[in-house]
Amino acid sequence: MTSMNVIEAQGLVRRFGAVTALDGFDLTVPSGRIVGLIGPNGSGKTTALRAILGLSRLDAGTLRVADCDPWRDRPQLMQNVAYIPDTGILPRWMRVRDLIDYAEGVHPTFDRSRTERLLSKTSVDASRTIAGLSKGMQVQLHLSLILAINAKLLVLDEPTLGLDVLYREQFYEALLGDFIEGDRSILVTTHEVREIEHVLTDVVFIRKGKSVLAEFVDTIREHYLKLTTDAGTNVPGGYLSRRTSLSGVEYLYRDASRAQLQGLGDVGVPELVELFIAYMQSAAATGNEQNTEAQHA
Amino acid sequence: MNQFTNSLNHHPTYLPTQPFTNPIGRSDTMHKWNDNQPIYQQLKEQVLYRILTGSLAEGEPVPSVRQVAAEQRLNPLTVTRAYQLLTDEGLLEKRRGLGLFVHEGARMRAIASERENFLLEEWPRIRARIDALGIDLTTLISGESK
Repeated sequence: MTSMNVIEAQGLVRRFGAVTALDGFDLTVPSGRIVGLIGPNGSGKTTALRAILGLSRLDAGTLRVADCDPWRDRPQLMQNVAYIPDTGILPRWMRVRDLIDYAEGVHPTFDRSRTERLLSKTSVDASRTIAGLSKGMQVQLHLSLILAINAKLLVLDEPTLGLDVLYREQFYEALLGDFIEGDRSILVTTHEVREIEHVLTDVVFIRKGKSVLAEFVDTIREHYLKLTTDAGTNVPGGYLSRRTSLSGVEYLYRDASRAQLQGLGDVGVPELVELFIAYMQSAAATGNEQNTEAQHA
Repeated sequence: MNQFTNSLNHHPTYLPTQPFTNPIGRSDTMHKWNDNQPIYQQLKEQVLYRILTGSLAEGEPVPSVRQVAAEQRLNPLTVTRAYQLLTDEGLLEKRRGLGLFVHEGARMRAIASERENFLLEEWPRIRARIDALGIDLTTLISGESK
């Protein structure tokens, strides 16, 4: 695996009037990785994606995507980057066949036979109009078009939103079977943590326009411990979050010593979704928000 | 595909309790991974078990990283990592340009490693439980409770 990064973003800032959508956002996507950008609605995910795709200018920060400045070198960027947005944007009046003709005409590296091969595995009929396809089929069509472009980076914004579980499974199967190869990378946003946890190689949590966690998925569990104990127990400080549940009080720790926690209650490994909730709810978890008291007031 | 879709009816009791009906073959439902161990470790153990039982025979190719990734909806690095561990332990071998194969002698090596694992990790726990329950050797062998 090469060490080249397909995305390098440092300190991105984007303001819309009084709203700061990106507030010093950092992101590194090495080639050959599948990175999940996970955050609640309004956390800045889509703004970050738009900046990465050259669709939104920045107020501050440095951003390189596939060796381009996305805002200035957009035509060059589009040769190497493919994108599926969260809403259907394929022209509804067009027939599938005509859309494939169009893609072949406008994109220099489009491989028509690849799209046709991928579509033959689905029930998308080339003579139908886009409007006549179900939401799931539209996503299949879009993915089949995108996979036929020799992109270095595939950007997916909530790709499976509104799809049933069968289409979701097929979507990830096609993605993993047909896109990933060598140094190609995927950046995918979602708020469905559970659904894509195992598909990702890396996970980045975004909260209020900042990245608050960036970890390698396979080893994320080595860094976190969950202690479940009784309310009265004296526990070490420095935990990320504290939550009362049916089984007692749960504390999440990062890089804590298992031996130290062992005697205090049940020690286990948190799920990714638990980490997500902890990072989204706890101001302390961001580490760089100094006066948490004032923010809670 | 047949060798991958053989169901594994006889779960040895010393293996993790998760039902792995179809470890690295096609499955139409999401795999149930347990949360206590990294996925690459669990995948590694599944492949090891298939080697152990002979359902992946020596000299046979293992499914490609891409195939396993797509079928299990796992990221390719996780699969690569599992295969790497097995290669390091001499159970798989890379044949240039051809991919990964089950190493000759892998089955015996898998058995030796699982045997050691059983004697060092599992047996002491079982032994302690037998002692705590006061079960004697005769009862244990005959398998009947008095």
